[in-house]
Amino acid sequence: MISPLLFLLLAPFVAILVIIIFRTPPQFTAGVAAGFNLMLSLLLLYEYPAAQGGYAYVMDWPWMALSGVPPIHFHLGVDGISLPLVFLTAIVTFAAIAVSPNNVRRASEYYCYLLLVSLGAMGAFVSLDIFFFYIFHEFALIPTFLLIGIWGGQNRQFASFQVTLYLMAGSLILLAGLLALIMALPPSARTFDIVALQSFIDRHPHAIATSVQDAIFPIVLVGFGILVGLFPFHSWAPPGYAAAPPAAAMMHAGVLKKFALYGLIRVGIPMLHDGFTDWLPVMVTLLVGNFLYAGFVTIAQRELPAMLGFSSIMHMGYLFLGIACWNMIGVSGAVVLMVGHGLSVALLFGLSGEITHRSGENRFSELGGLAQRAPMLAVLFSFASMASMGVPGLANFAGELMVFFGSFVSNLPLLGPTFTVFAVYGTVITAIYQLRAIKNVFYGPMPVRYEPRPAAVEATTGETVPASLGMTDTATLPEYTPYVLLIGASLIIGFMPFLLFHIVQPSVSLLPHVR
Amino acid sequence: MINASIHIAYFAPVLLLTVWALGLLLAEALIPLTARHTAWIALIGLGLTGLFTLAFDASSVSFWGDLCKWDGAAKFFNLFFVATAILVIWMGDEIQEPFSHGGGEFVVLPLFTTIGLMLLAMANDFTLFFVSLELVTISFYILVAYQRRSPVAIEAGIKYLILGGLSSAFLVMGIAYIYGLTGTTRFDLMEQFMPAYLQVYRTGIAFGLLLVLVGIGFKIAMVPFHIWAPDVYEGAPNSITAFLSVGSKAGGFIILMRVVLGIFGGVAGSHIWLPVLSVAAMLSLVLGNLAAIPQRNLKRLLGYSSIGHTGFILVAVIGAVQLAPSEARPPIMDLKTGQVAVSIYLVTYLLATFTAFIVLAVLNRRLPGLEIHHLAGLSQRSPLLAAAFALSFISLAGIPPLSGFIAKFMVILVAWNRGFYTLLGFAIFAAVAALYYYLGPVKAMYWSEPLDETPIRINLPTTIVLSILIVLLIGTGFWAQSYSIFVNDSNLAQASLHAAGSFVCKQ
Repeated sequence: MISPLLFLLLAPFVAILVIIIFRTPPQFTAGVAAGFNLMLSLLLLYEYPAAQGGYAYVMDWPWMALSGVPPIHFHLGVDGISLPLVFLTAIVTFAAIAVSPNNVRRASEYYCYLLLVSLGAMGAFVSLDIFFFYIFHEFALIPTFLLIGIWGGQNRQFASFQVTLYLMAGSLILLAGLLALIMALPPSARTFDIVALQSFIDRHPHAIATSVQDAIFPIVLVGFGILVGLFPFHSWAPPGYAAAPPAAAMMHAGVLKKFALYGLIRVGIPMLHDGFTDWLPVMVTLLVGNFLYAGFVTIAQRELPAMLGFSSIMHMGYLFLGIACWNMIGVSGAVVLMVGHGLSVALLFGLSGEITHRSGENRFSELGGLAQRAPMLAVLFSFASMASMGVPGLANFAGELMVFFGSFVSNLPLLGPTFTVFAVYGTVITAIYQLRAIKNVFYGPMPVRYEPRPAAVEATTGETVPASLGMTDTATLPEYTPYVLLIGASLIIGFMPFLLFHIVQPSVSLLPHVR
Repeated sequence: MINASIHIAYFAPVLLLTVWALGLLLAEALIPLTARHTAWIALIGLGLTGLFTLAFDASSVSFWGDLCKWDGAAKFFNLFFVATAILVIWMGDEIQEPFSHGGGEFVVLPLFTTIGLMLLAMANDFTLFFVSLELVTISFYILVAYQRRSPVAIEAGIKYLILGGLSSAFLVMGIAYIYGLTGTTRFDLMEQFMPAYLQVYRTGIAFGLLLVLVGIGFKIAMVPFHIWAPDVYEGAPNSITAFLSVGSKAGGFIILMRVVLGIFGGVAGSHIWLPVLSVAAMLSLVLGNLAAIPQRNLKRLLGYSSIGHTGFILVAVIGAVQLAPSEARPPIMDLKTGQVAVSIYLVTYLLATFTAFIVLAVLNRRLPGLEIHHLAGLSQRSPLLAAAFALSFISLAGIPPLSGFIAKFMVILVAWNRGFYTLLGFAIFAAVAALYYYLGPVKAMYWSEPLDETPIRINLPTTIVLSILIVLLIGTGFWAQSYSIFVNDSNLAQASLHAAGSFVCKQ
């Protein structure tokens, strides 16, 4: 049986082939594929039987059976946890392609790599087999390397290598952890199929001894932790995102990083629950590092992209917190927050790219007063900042509130009311740096070089105004539509969070050990 | 499938190739054949040998007074060597600069190397093992130093000759020791009685085995017997470097498996070599991959990386060993998985290495040198060459969906299964370190400024071969089931491997 999810994977693939073989206009072709995926994912969200919460659109092909290797299946399917992330992938891909400048160098390569990153993220979210879950994520590694290296900004050389090596290390540690999990089971139960593994572990909760789980869980946690930027393993992310072209940062920070959190929800914690319980204090301590350490470092940043890179690391703390509660409300909140954070961080990176591109500057000290010249950009950026701060009415608020509720009612060690009060303080940190960014970029005195030059001077000297001298706004419809799309999605989820919650919650309640 | 009732028929493919090679050598001397014609005749001979080998089944028989053995591993490796030789001769003919003097031997000698390698895969006796190994090594002595006007080639030839001779001496010494203590040179007899011998002559046999491992370690470029690899790789003609890197290494591994998993596969035997090979694997992983990082010459880089790959394959070999039944972590997985992992690793290594060397051979004439910075901007000058080279390096680095990932995946799986956690840690460290130097050339090709913008044109056969290799690199990585076609019966036929957990004599 063919699942509609297969088309989500085929669309970018076909678009890549069409771009390479028929040399069609690459941005248009890529945009059509991304638009198709966006429509399809909305349709799937609408059609998904939310009330039961199980896997839907399932497709299962046997894939590989080598002697001694546990069977591998090409098993696709989504539930209420992965479906919102599929939607997030589709919408951010579409926006990332739409905001890319028209005159990008080596355009066909650029869009092919973007589509490959999108394909990798999409594949990881729809796979129900650990092997494919893993390799789809790895798909994105080399395209990310090339995107940062070829189209990146300053420091791209170092950043591209650092990101790739860090992610490779994280992936290999993760692979070792996942294989350890599978090999720890009795031979007859070994399989790469997530559904079969989960049902076996549910039936035999002590199939893996607690001491073994205690050994495997940290490996998995470190693997996922590196990929998502958990506190001591986060140092690759900010310089990487700062150097990456905006579209790549949008894809990676907005979508691809959610892979690791999704993996923890889908594989790490349910299958190694004893290990998770024992390692919880460590995990909670580390996520405090994300809140506070990364938060204060963010405040100290002097450049817009670097600040956004650190802020995206800081927000991983909330997501980890929601997952660490491992109760209904916390995990649902984390899923909603993943979508909200993906939308807001994609917006911020896109807009920061827009500001850098149009003004030729990304240091706060050299920017200022741009709201006069670029009112539309100012409005969009303020919306994005408000989303990131968790202002009610935007998707992040719904998610963060649920996460704090979840942590408030949790009776796990370290968590609980006291911890939550402490954690809520993190939103203040976000407000400090986001508001300062708005003030420094859009308000205050405007440097002279952004002043409109008298037309008469231009006419008499005959010289054209260089791009960096005449700051312009995103005035045309195609320029700001992608941002409006992302803000719209965030507003809809923010005002009507039940739309998402009634899809997410039944599936979360099916996760083992969720209280 | 031919299931020959007269077992000696299994020798026919090797015999065919031998007759073909000798005939070609004579014909080349008597009839004025051009180098190109010689190459085509050799390719036809190899093709026929390959088809002939394919026709035989993988049953386990021995013949010639048990001097030779035919089993799944012999069949798999024979096909592997024929495929390698076809690519080597094709490369030498199609891409490389025709050598100013006598091109004929350059085509015929690889045939003799192939014969030696095929015999090596079938050896069931230390004498045949040694003779075929020398056939391989001696023809390589000539091939490595073939460009005799180049000082680098002469240096490579001398280094290979001296170190090769030294390692052969160690090998003979080891064989003599083991023969002196056991009274036989036959693998199968030794395998049966090794537990008994070991109880009496443990030290002597252990000493002999270590000397044999020196000889084999030289062939597979295992640390600390790796010194020759970078220099020889740099100096030898490209096709011969590829041959050394793939064929010679695979030959070393088949015989390593026959010796350590076969003769010394029992618990008592493995206690001798397991620590030795484990340390060698760790050293190869670390040294090979770290020493490759500062390399600027691509062939030297591939030389060090090949040492690193030896480390990975050794992990898989070690993973195929059987340990005592009382071991805390019993081998739950089929022991043969380790051998399947070796076969898969070698196949993926063949695909990636040949892709890289074909590109290097094409570039050899078009670029001022083969340093990394000479590749600058290659993706603008020839997208196909750049893509092929990048994919081969990314495959060697083991990133999905390329075939190299499946190899690394199998090695990690095997290591977990057997509980070799330290080795696994080293392997992961090495894989991450390796990514750094594999990405360097990718960076140069894709975003460094080109020194020279003229497009590089490549002819049709090269385009076709490179495209096929690219499709195989991606295809076998994504559709990994394809390996089951040829590796599932690639196992050694040995008593000890079937009777897992016991080392009682068979009779």
